[in-house]
Amino acid sequence: MFLVLNLAAVFTIAERKVAGYIQLRYGPNRVGPRGLLQPAADVFKLFSKENVSPTRSDIWIFLAAPIAMFIPAALVWMVVPFAPNAVVADLNIALLFFISMTSIGALGVIMAGYGSRSTFSLLGALRGAAQMISYEVPLILSLLGVIMLSGSLSLVSIVDAQGGGFWHWNLWLQLPMFIVFYIAGLAEVKRVPFDLPEGESEIVGGFMVEYSGMTWALIQASEFASMGLMAAMNVTLFLGGWQPPIDALDFGNFNWIWFGLKTALITFTFQWIRWSVPRLRMDQLMDLGWKILVPVCLVWLFVTAGAMLVLQGF
Amino acid sequence: MLSEERRVESAALSGRASGRLTNPDVRDEFGLETLDMNMGPQHPAMHGLLRLILELDGETVVRCDPVMGYLHRCQEKIAENRMYPAVVPLTDRLDYFANMHMEHGYCLAVEDMLDAEIPPRADAIRVLMSELMRLASHIPSIGFLMLELGAFTPILYSFRERERIQTIFEAVTGARMMFHYIRIGGVKADLPEDIPQRIWEYIEGLESRFQEDFVNLISGNEIFIARTRGVGKMTQEQAVEMGVTGPALRCTGVDFDIRRDYPYSWYPNVEFDVITDTEGDVAASYRVRIAECLQSIRIIKQVLENLPEGEVMADLGRRIRPAEGEGFGRVESPRGEYAVHVVSDGSDTPYRVHYRDPSFCNMQLLQEIVPGHYLPDIMPIMGLVDPVSGGWDK
Repeated sequence: MFLVLNLAAVFTIAERKVAGYIQLRYGPNRVGPRGLLQPAADVFKLFSKENVSPTRSDIWIFLAAPIAMFIPAALVWMVVPFAPNAVVADLNIALLFFISMTSIGALGVIMAGYGSRSTFSLLGALRGAAQMISYEVPLILSLLGVIMLSGSLSLVSIVDAQGGGFWHWNLWLQLPMFIVFYIAGLAEVKRVPFDLPEGESEIVGGFMVEYSGMTWALIQASEFASMGLMAAMNVTLFLGGWQPPIDALDFGNFNWIWFGLKTALITFTFQWIRWSVPRLRMDQLMDLGWKILVPVCLVWLFVTAGAMLVLQGF
Repeated sequence: MLSEERRVESAALSGRASGRLTNPDVRDEFGLETLDMNMGPQHPAMHGLLRLILELDGETVVRCDPVMGYLHRCQEKIAENRMYPAVVPLTDRLDYFANMHMEHGYCLAVEDMLDAEIPPRADAIRVLMSELMRLASHIPSIGFLMLELGAFTPILYSFRERERIQTIFEAVTGARMMFHYIRIGGVKADLPEDIPQRIWEYIEGLESRFQEDFVNLISGNEIFIARTRGVGKMTQEQAVEMGVTGPALRCTGVDFDIRRDYPYSWYPNVEFDVITDTEGDVAASYRVRIAECLQSIRIIKQVLENLPEGEVMADLGRRIRPAEGEGFGRVESPRGEYAVHVVSDGSDTPYRVHYRDPSFCNMQLLQEIVPGHYLPDIMPIMGLVDPVSGGWDK
C-alpha cells in the first residue's frame, strides 16, 4: 500500500512536469529541488483540508466510494512482477485477478456518482460505468492472444516466456492486440481521449465533482495508481516485463531497472496523448470500442490460433 | 402535489427562456422522465457567467434555455449620466475580448452626430488596432474551442500570441486590456516611433508560426474532425432569421461583412477577402476564423505599408455637445456586427445609448441548434457562437 501511494505520487509529479514542458511552461518548481517534493506538499495540503460532503448526499456511499476505488487499484500491483523473484504474490490466475479488480473499480465510480447526488456526478458515473464495462470486452479479448502464446495466466510465467532478447517479446507476434490493449487500457483508466466520466469541460469533473480533501486525494491516487498499473501491464504482457532487450544487458536481480524504464516510457506516452488530443464523444467512444477494437481482436485471435495449429502440426 | 391550476401555470412559465427550473412531469411510454440540469452560471465552459437550463433525455439535450444577466452592469444607463468622452472607457468593459472595436463603434456613432472630420492617420491607426485586436480575439477563441473539446494545451499557445499582441497594445496605449485609446475625433496619441517596426516583425513571425502551431496541429486531428463536423449545423435561413452575424453567419455561406458592405474608417483603402464557408457547423466556423486571421494579417501589412502622416486627433473643441439628433455607428467586431445608437438632446450627456452586441444576438442560436445534440456537443457550439459575458450582459 505504501509503495502504491509512493508510485502514485511519482506519477503525479511526472504528469505535471510533462504537461508543463508540453505547454511552454516549467510545471511545479518551487518545493524541493526542481519541484520534486511537490506531491508531499500536495498531500499535506489535502490532509489539512476539510472533507465537505453535500447535504443531501448518501453519506456512507459517498465516503465508501473513494475506498472502493483505491483498494482494487492498489491490490492489482500485488501480482505485477517487478524483477525476477520480486513479486508480492505469484498467483496462477494473476490475469483473472487483474481483470476482476479493474472491473471493481467501475463500482467505485458508480458509488461516487450516485452518492454525491448531483446531476453532474450522476452523468459522469453513468458514462463511467458504460465506458468501463464496454471496454472490458476488448481488454479481455486482447489478452487471449498472450495467454495462448504463453499457455499460462500467471504473469510471472508470461514474463518468463518472453525471455531472450527483444525479438521474443509478445509485442511483435501480437502487434494488433498490443494496440487494442493500449487503447482499451487508456479507456479503462479514464485517460484522455477517453476521459468522458471526468469531462471537465461539460460535466466539470463528473463523478468526483463533489469530493474534497482526502477523499478527493484518494480518488486521484487511485486514478494515478491504475494509470501506472496499466502501463505496467502493457510492459508485462507485451514488452517483456523485466526482461532486458538483449541478453548482454541482463542485470540479474537488478532487472527492475528495465521494468522501470519501460513503464516510464509507456506512462510518458499516456501523458503525451493526454496533453495533445481532445476528448471523444460517448457515441464515438462506443463505436470505437465495439465496431473497431472488438473485431480486430477477434480476427487476430483466430489468426493466432490458426498459426499455432499450423506450426504445431509441422 | 400541485393543483391542476398551478400545474397549468407552471407549464406556462416553463416556456422558453423563462429562467425558471420547472419539471413539467413529462413521461414517455416507458415511464421515463427527462432530467433537468442547471449548467452554470459557475461553470468553467460557459464563457463567463451564462446559465443554461437543460432538459436531458439520457445524454441528448431536449431543451436549452440560456439565462443571462449575471454580469449586468447597467452600461447603457450609466452612459446616460456621463459626458460623451467619458463613455468611451465604459465601452471597453462591454466585450472585453474586443475592446478596440467597442470603443471604435461608439466613437463612430458620436462622430456621426458631430459630422466630424477624422484625420486619415487616426483612421489608419484605428484599423491597425482593430485588426490586431481581431487577431487577439480569434486566436484565443480557437484555443477555447479546443479547451472545450478537452484539449488543454492549445489554449496556452493561443494565449502566448495574445500576450504578445497585448504587449504591443501596452506600448501604444499604456494599458493591456482597458485601452481608452480610440477617442471621439481620433486616437489618444500617435504611435510610438518603433511600433510600426515591432508590429511588422510580430506579424511576420505570427504568419510563419500560425501554420505550424495551429493549423497543422488542429485541422487534421481525427478527434477534432469527429467532434466538430456536422455539430451545430444550421442553415442560412436559420442564421439570418436569428440575426446572427460574424463568423457564425459567414460559416453558413452568407457573404456579409460590415467592413466591406458598410465600409468605415480606413477600410475602403485596404484590400481583403470576406471569408465564407458552406457547411455552417463548428468545423466551418473554425475554418472561417483561421482564414480571417490570415486576412487580418494582410490588412495590417497594407496599413503599415501606407501609413499616412499627419495629425491623429481632430479639433472638436473642449466640450462635446452635439445638436439634437441621432448618431449611428457600426463596426465588424470579431464576433459579428457591433452597432451603437446614440441619441442626443443637445446637452453634453447622451440622452440614450444603445449597444447592439453580437454576443447577445448570436446567443439566440443556442435555443435553436442545441436541442437534439448530445450534452458534450454544447461545448463546441459555444465555441461556434463564441459569446463574451461582458458583451451579452452589458
